[in-house]
Amino acid sequence: MRVMEQNIHESLPVIFSNLQKASEKQQNYDSAEHFGKLSEKYYQDAVSGDLRTIKDMIVTDISSMADIQSLAGENGDRGILRALRWGGKVAAIQKSLIDRYLSKGEALTEGKEIFLCEACGFIFLGNAVPGLCPVCKAPSSRFTKVGK
Amino acid sequence: MYASRNLSKCTKDCLCLFVCPTGATNTETGQIDSSRCLDGCRLCVDACPSKAIFLVMDEYPEPAPKDAASASKMMDLCSSRFAQEKAAAAIAASSDEPGLKKLTEALRQSLRITAEDCAREAGFMLPQSEPVRALMEELESS
Ligand code: SF4
Ligand code: SF4
Repeated sequence: MRVMEQNIHESLPVIFSNLQKASEKQQNYDSAEHFGKLSEKYYQDAVSGDLRTIKDMIVTDISSMADIQSLAGENGDRGILRALRWGGKVAAIQKSLIDRYLSKGEALTEGKEIFLCEACGFIFLGNAVPGLCPVCKAPSSRFTKVGK
Repeated sequence: MYASRNLSKCTKDCLCLFVCPTGATNTETGQIDSSRCLDGCRLCVDACPSKAIFLVMDEYPEPAPKDAASASKMMDLCSSRFAQEKAAAAIAASSDEPGLKKLTEALRQSLRITAEDCAREAGFMLPQSEPVRALMEELESS
């Protein structure tokens, strides 16, 4: 029997939540429910978290994205190149929000809402939904408001 | 293949009601009755002035296989992003500061979306594809 790659094993909840969304788009709702359950089944909470550690990991991710980019460029894999372009921009925004929170604290979000682009993960801090996602160009209907 | 309506685009102009040979478009839910839809007919798709109707496939072509080295690196990236998602979730769950709670909740969701994109581009995009079938078999046998 083939042993499952570690990186696949660790990512099962993500693989399955993605397949859940794909099945919803195909209107295979039974299959979507099945993948949703698998995603939950393999999910294990982290015991704790720390903003600075997350930030360091984002920095590492951004540099590994550059390596994969050259490999994908050689192979002409435009899907990966597209994912890295969006993912790189979103990672930079994630990092900058953490930096700003670390310097400004609670004042950062005061009187502001946070909106999330469901297509690419872009986070927008402001008062109204953006008309168009600046990262992936999805329309405002793809944005959801985070929290209450 | 069957027709489906994007309800947020449908303006209820009703041209699809006139052209459908089976009455599949005329339902009280607003959605098209897929059990009455004729495979590949698409009359309503072409008639709709709002471009609100699209065809849903039953079968999808097998995607081009991914280069193994790039796929593995995308999965490394996926698991790193996912580890950050869980760390953000832990902060969101334990923090009493409303701003930090909201920020880490946004990060949690954003990181999941970016991690999913990595998994997708590592070859797990289409539920009906070979890499997904192989993964399901592996899980069942372990
Ligand atoms: S023709 Fe198009 S816009 Fe009109 S009712 Fe049918 S789906 Fe809606
Ligand atoms: S594709 Fe044809 S059968 Fe199906 S809903 Fe449209 S008009 Fe009716």
